[in-house]
Order: sequence, then structure tokens, then C-alpha cells
Amino acid sequence: MKNIRDLIKEKRVYFDGGTGTVLQKKGLNPGESPELWNITQPHKIVTLHKAYLKAGCNIIKTNTFGVNRTKFLNYAELIQKGIACAKKAIAETEDNAEKYIAFDMGPTGKLLEPLGDLSFEEAVSIFADNVKAATESGADLILIETMNDSYETKAAVLAAKENSNLPIFVTNVYDGNGKLMTGANPVAMIAMLESLGVDALGMNCSLGPDKMLDIIDEFAKYSSTPIIVNPNAGLPEVINGETVFNVGAEEFSDYMVQLAERGASILGGCCGTTPEFIQKTVAKTKDMPYSCPTWKNITMVSSYTHAVVIEKDPVLIGERINPTGKPKLKEALRTGDLNYVLNEAVRQADKNVHILDVNVGLPEIDETDMMKKCIAGIQSITDLPLQIDSTKFETLEQAMRMYNGKPLVNSVNGTEESMKNVLPLVQKYGGGLIALTIDEKGIPDNASDRAKIAEKIVSRAAEYGISKREIIVDPLALTISSNPESAVVTLESIRMIRALGVKTSLGISNISFGLPQRNLVTSTFYANALQNGLNCAIMNPFAEEMMNVYYAYRALNCLDTGCVDYINYASAVQGTAKTESKTEETLHVCIVKGLKEGAVRQTKRLLENIPPLDVINEHIVPALNEIGTAFEQKKAYLPQLLMSAETASLSFEEVKKKIPTDQTDTSKAIVLATVKGDIHDIGKNIVKVLMESYGFTVYDLGRDVPPEKIVACALENNCKLVGLSALMTTTVPSMAETIKMLNETDRSIKTMVGGAVLNQEYADMIGADFYGADAMDSVRYAEKFYAD
Amino acid sequence: MKISVRVFFVATREKLCYNKNGDVSMKYSDIRIITANAADVVINRNELALRLKTDRNYESELLDKCRKQFDSAVQYRCAYVRIAVDLSEENVCRFDFAEIASKNLYRNLQGCREAFVIAVTTGLEVDRLLKKLNILSQAEHFVTDGLSSAAVESFCDMVSSRLKTGLSCANRFSPGYGDVNLTVQKPLLDRLCAAETLGITLNTAYLMTPVKSITAIMGIKT
Repeated sequence: MKNIRDLIKEKRVYFDGGTGTVLQKKGLNPGESPELWNITQPHKIVTLHKAYLKAGCNIIKTNTFGVNRTKFLNYAELIQKGIACAKKAIAETEDNAEKYIAFDMGPTGKLLEPLGDLSFEEAVSIFADNVKAATESGADLILIETMNDSYETKAAVLAAKENSNLPIFVTNVYDGNGKLMTGANPVAMIAMLESLGVDALGMNCSLGPDKMLDIIDEFAKYSSTPIIVNPNAGLPEVINGETVFNVGAEEFSDYMVQLAERGASILGGCCGTTPEFIQKTVAKTKDMPYSCPTWKNITMVSSYTHAVVIEKDPVLIGERINPTGKPKLKEALRTGDLNYVLNEAVRQADKNVHILDVNVGLPEIDETDMMKKCIAGIQSITDLPLQIDSTKFETLEQAMRMYNGKPLVNSVNGTEESMKNVLPLVQKYGGGLIALTIDEKGIPDNASDRAKIAEKIVSRAAEYGISKREIIVDPLALTISSNPESAVVTLESIRMIRALGVKTSLGISNISFGLPQRNLVTSTFYANALQNGLNCAIMNPFAEEMMNVYYAYRALNCLDTGCVDYINYASAVQGTAKTESKTEETLHVCIVKGLKEGAVRQTKRLLENIPPLDVINEHIVPALNEIGTAFEQKKAYLPQLLMSAETASLSFEEVKKKIPTDQTDTSKAIVLATVKGDIHDIGKNIVKVLMESYGFTVYDLGRDVPPEKIVACALENNCKLVGLSALMTTTVPSMAETIKMLNETDRSIKTMVGGAVLNQEYADMIGADFYGADAMDSVRYAEKFYAD
Repeated sequence: MKISVRVFFVATREKLCYNKNGDVSMKYSDIRIITANAADVVINRNELALRLKTDRNYESELLDKCRKQFDSAVQYRCAYVRIAVDLSEENVCRFDFAEIASKNLYRNLQGCREAFVIAVTTGLEVDRLLKKLNILSQAEHFVTDGLSSAAVESFCDMVSSRLKTGLSCANRFSPGYGDVNLTVQKPLLDRLCAAETLGITLNTAYLMTPVKSITAIMGIKT
């Protein structure tokens, strides 16, 4: 029998239709697991499969959709019996050439991290068990279907790749807005699935074939892979207590003709469809001319919501998450302060960059672990695709594996060592790939040799099945301060490399290293590079000159219709300039009113004239006290207090920059935690913000923190003040346990407690030194504690 | 008020909604869906004031900013069914999806033979927004958290009063109140095919994602 991978390239093949909905008509009790019939009533399953085969389908979906080890202890048996039913049906069908068994694998029913609590690796492992059972039982292909989350889809595909060599087909469920439940659009899914190397992809279930017409064009435009369309029989209605679908077989098959005309390759049905639907669909489409989707030379990377297409329109890659030359980021990475990294991510996203580079390489930290934490963190707060940047292969692998989407990988180079390690990773996990024109002999001093290295990498990648379209060559801009010809050679390299038919990228900032007024040189070089056809720039989005070039270039080159983006950008720039001229504001007013930008401006101004400590004592603290008192007197509300506190913290940051590190006052410190078992951290976070605004060093341990960790932190930092929060009555005992352990360890450590379920009496009972009724209360106590 | 109601049949319902024992034996084709836009839901000021610890007339630039961000993230969705309730045994409430032993719920449902079983949510994007603000700004996080809690309450009120029209109903009762254990969430959400219809899933502690979601039972008095 022909491999189905080849067959789908040559002719139109058909899936069967609904299973559960048909079985209900055959007496399946609603709510009863249809999969159990594989064991209890296999003849009915066989009959159903045979009816579909007779209707003309080529691929049978096994009755195993909901089977996995979390739902059925006998999952392997259900899978094996399900596949046996399909085999029997094919054996008992006369004309059984080109009939295939698809092992049907649905979602776990759990939501993956970070929004849910199923870990990615656990999901992979659940799917892996299914795939192993199906492969042993003789399935012809794996169908991953009805997936409504890109991350879970990736887990299933990886499980299939790692545990079998069977062809992999994937269909997702798009809603009325053309998105998966967790946000991905079709292009994002195509980018990720193609780079993972699936054999066919598409959509199923959802609302009906009419709705699928709305998105089939997206598939046809971007997919180079055969497109599966398995719709429902429209929307269901309840008539006389029975569910009836509103699209009949005739209408359904007419829609399927339209879908086929617009690019659908593999046709079939989902819920509500019956053998009649399939038979009519086959009859109407089997003589239509068939062409498999053509190869699309489109370079894409993706996140869990969208793809970034790399073509004419320049792509900006934010470079700020890279410790080189950034002492604050280095410090944040050393102390594990993820918030700093996440802030940098959001600040860059706000500048409208398209992709974020993530590099956390520091010799003294566990790079792989930090990279994974950063990727998980960044992907939970921004949906920009990421560029995974590391020189360690192990770090790259782990990060590429757990990334949700198709990453950009930075980088491979022309050395044997690099190619043999990085290319297999891209082959397995998928990704766009930055290729540096450097090899064992270093960076060539001329363009043609750089292009030769690019060519070498492209052909080596092809051996791993990695297409040229995935490769983005970076010909390496060196600084002109020591290499006078660098810019000229680099620009020529871009032209030559483009001629090879691959995309290009440059770390722009290097060009001006060692020169004064660097942005001037960098942005001029960027303009030149764009003119020479550069696609991606790894750059600093906070450098206004760079953004000026970007917006102006797009407007000048017909890439910004009606100059809309340019005008928006220009008016925003103008807006900032205006506010800066405002002079009547004072730091005091800014803090009380919570005006962050004004506060930073005024702090800088004050620091020009008066010593840092005076700024704190004469300006920041009095302002904070004013709003704090107003809050205590119920003249101001908590949101205002929080805004003022955040504003004061920013002001503090400015002041700290002026204080030599050895003189920084770290004596005022506090350990904060929400106790074990409690996942509510709003109250604790409010206290944290206030404490920081008053200049305290806060060791924030987060939520659900075990007692021993709190004790360890207090000891390690020699911190004598610990604040504990609990919001649930059930976790107060765990607070009591923490206090007891702290007291036993060091009686000089004072504990303050707070939270919705506590009061003075309760606090006394569990042995706390202080009960804070609100955040201000806590600050006052802490201030007093350190004053005494 | 422009809210649309349509019958929603979850295609894969019978595939997704059974548990290990396969003991959920109900027809699911009676699930109704209600959706609403941000503009359709008037957030109850008292509810909001309670969450933000302000008075009910509190307004600020911060609140405006948070409201805007929230409005562009929120996707109100509700799924409900109208089903029979059997109270023939004292302190036991029998529904087609579960048998709940509870004094409080039993008392609440006195005089009812039917009940609405309801789940509402503000959607996953609100979770994403809250996660992001928790990193960026505690002030915005605090306000948006309060805002979304008040919003899901208000939407649930809106849905309830719509369902109540022309009927006499008991007060809404949610799992976790009184002596009704949170574990009831599982069969209740399964009954509504909430994973598919609303995108609501449970974690191991029976807490819902999206976090701003409410489930409730509302008895219909006969």
C-alpha cells in the first residue's frame, strides 16, 4: 500500500465523518464514553467504520478521541481495541485499496501552564503513552485533532515525533473569530506545525463548513502542507428534544466543493456528519482537479497568537534582554529577579518591536534554567515571538523545546561544531535560524567569502531537511572604529547573500562601538543596510534615531499605506517633547498625584542641585507621608496610595543611581511571603510596593512559600523583620508554623502578619509580633522597628 | 442591551465530558450560550467600590486606564442549562449531573423542581492581562483585579436577571458556599461542557481558569 505521505501529494483523499454523534443514534447513552464500545460493542464500531468506507472515505478515525491515561486506566487496551475495529472494518470491505487507519488523539481536557496547571512535559508524556500504544497496535498515521491550544498541540506533535515514525496530521478548532481558544490564528499554527514537520494540517469541528470558508484562504495563502478540512454539520438545534444539525448533507457537500476549490486538500467531517455527508462530498469533489499546496517561500516565526512574516517589511528584534554591557540586567540575572527581565520585555513590546531577543548568558548562573524561566515568564506577559539566543547547545535545545510557537534561533555558524549541534535541533523542534558568517578561520574580511559560508550553512541545513526559507544570515557588522571597511564589506555581503535567496539580519549596534554619539552612526548604517535589502535588525528600540529611520524608511518605500504608522509615531514623539517642557510640577506633587514620568524628571532635576539623601528625606518621604496620612484618614484610597508608592519607587531608583554602591543603605530590609498553601498575593504585593517606596530592601519570596524557605532567607540576608500574609482561614496554621520556626531559629527576628482572615486576636494567638490592619500600618511598624 | 443567545452544541461533547467512571449520563444538547460585549455589561458600582475599598463614586485616571485595558481584553461568555432538581430525600439535591448532599443548598432550593445551572467567565485574555500587570504595576493590578471581579459578578447578575424574567427564582448558590464542597465544580462544569463552551478548566485544587469565572445553581420556584 502506498504511503499516505505520498498519496496526499498526488490525489484528494477523504476522512470519515462524525463518530460520537452517529453512535448516539445507535444507542450510546449520552455521557457514556463512546470509547468503551471498542470493548463492549466492537461490532457497532466496525459497522460504523464500514459505512464510512463504503461512502468513499480513505482514512478512518479510530474511536479513541478521549482516551488517555488520565481518564482511563486501561487506555492502552482501548487504543488497541479501537485500532482492531478499524482493521476489521477494512478487512471486511471489498474495495479496500488506499484505506488507512488514523489513530485519533484529542486534547487532555486540561489547560497547560502558565494559565493552567498541566506542565508541558507532563502533557508530552500523556500523549507519548497514547502514541506508543497506537504505534504498537498498527495505526497508519497519527491524527491530532480538536486541539484548541497551540502549546498542547506542540506537546502532542512532539510526543508523536519522539515515539513513532508514523505520518502526523493535525487539525485545530478555530472559533468564530478565526482563532484558537488560547488565541492562535491559522498563520501562527501553520508556522509552528510546518516547522515541526507535520505531514498535513488544518481545521476541524467548530461551527460548520460555512464558517471554515472564512479562514480557508489564510491556509491556502500560507501553507505548503496539505490542508485538512473536517467541519461539523453546521450549528445544532434542538427539535423535540433531539439534536439536529442545521446543515444537511446536500448543503454540506456544496460547501465542501467551495472549500476544495479554494485550497482544501483532504476533506471529511466532524460532529453531526454521517456517511451520507461523506458520500455526497466524495461524489461532488472526486473529479475536481487536484493540486497539493505549492511550496511557499515564506519565512515566518510565531508565538502562541500570531506569526511574524519576514519579507519586504523590515523586522525589528529588540536586543535589550542581553547582559552584555548591562550591569543592571546582570545583577537581575544573578539574583534571579525575573521581574526586571519581564519589564524589559514589556517596555520593548510597547515600542512595537516584532521579536524579542532573549540572551541570559552569564558564566556564574545556570543558563539553561534561567533561559527556561525567562521564556515561560516572557511568554506569559507578551505575545511577541522570541529569538532564543545562546552559545550553549543544551540551553538552545531546552528552550526550543518548551517555547510555545516557532522560535527564531540565534544562532548557528559555519563551524562544523556549530552546524552538527544546532541543525538537528532545528530539524526536531522547528524554528527560524540565524546563521552567522563565521567559521573555523574567523570572519572573512570580504563579502564573497562571507557569502560562501552562508552557502555552506544553507546546503548543510538542507541535508537535515531544513529549507532555505528558514535561514536568516547575519554577515556580522564589526565596528568601523577598528575595521574601517567593515560597513562597506557588510553591506556588500548583504547584497550577495540576498542573491542566494535567503533572508538577512544584522546586530546593528556593533558598527559604532568605540565611537562618540553612537546612535548617529548606527542609525545611518541601519538606513544604508535597509536600502541594501536587510530584513531583520537586532537593535535597541529605545534609541530614537533607530526608530526614526525605521518609520521613515517604511513610509518612503510604500510599506506604510497612507503613512499612517509614520504619522502616529511622529505625533507620539512630538507629544513627549511637549510634556517635557512643563515646569510647574514638583516632585512632591508628582508623588502625591502618582505622575510617574514627571517624578523621574523632577528627581533628576533635584539631583543636579542637592545631595541624594536630601532628595529622599526632604522630598520623597514627606510626599509619601502626606498620601499615607490621607489614606489613614480615609481621605485617599488604596489605588491612589499604590500609584504614589510606585511613583516614589521610580524616584528612588533615580536617587540610588547617584549613591555609590558601598554607601547604599541596605540596613532597612524585610522578608515578605504569602505562607504555604496560600496562592493569594495581592495583599503581600501591596505591602511590597509600599515598603519599596519607603526605601526598604524587600526579599519577596512570592506565594505558597514553605516555612523553611522563609527562615533560610531571613538568615541568609541577616534580615530581622519578616512579613507574612494569608488570605484563607485554612492557611493560618501554616502561618503559625512559620512563626514558630522563626522564633525557634532566632528570637531576635520579628514577625508582622496581615491578610483578610486575620485580626489582632488571631495574630496574638499565633505569636506574631505585630498585626498590620492595612499596608500603611505595616510600613509604620517597619519604620519604627528600624528606628528603635 | 444587545446580548445574543444561541443554542450551542459542543461537537465533541460526548468525547470530552465523561469522567473516569463514565457516569455522567446526560444529554448535553440543551446547553445555551450567552455572550456580551464590554459595552453591554454595566459594572455594578457598589461591587466595584467594595473590591477597590473606595466609595461608590470613585473615579480616577488610573481607573479609566484600567477600564480601557480590561474592556479590550474581556470576552463575556455564559453557558447554562435548565434542568430538573429532585429534593425528595432530606438534605440531598439530585441533579442529572450530580447528587449534592448539603443542608444549605437544600434549604436554598426549597419549593423548586427545576434549576438553572450557570457558568460565566470573562475569558482567558483577562488572565493574561492580570499576569502582565502583576509584573508591571501593582496599582494597575489591584484595580484591574477588582474591576474584573466586579465585572464577572455584574455579568452573572445580568444573566441571572434575564433568566429570571417571568419566573420566581431562589437566590444564586455557588459551589464553595456553606456546606457545598468545591469538588462539585467538576461535574457541574462537565455538564455545561465548560472546557469547550467557555474555555473553563479546573486545576487540581478545583479552582477555575480563567480566574474570573463563576459557577452557580439558581432554583426555579414552582
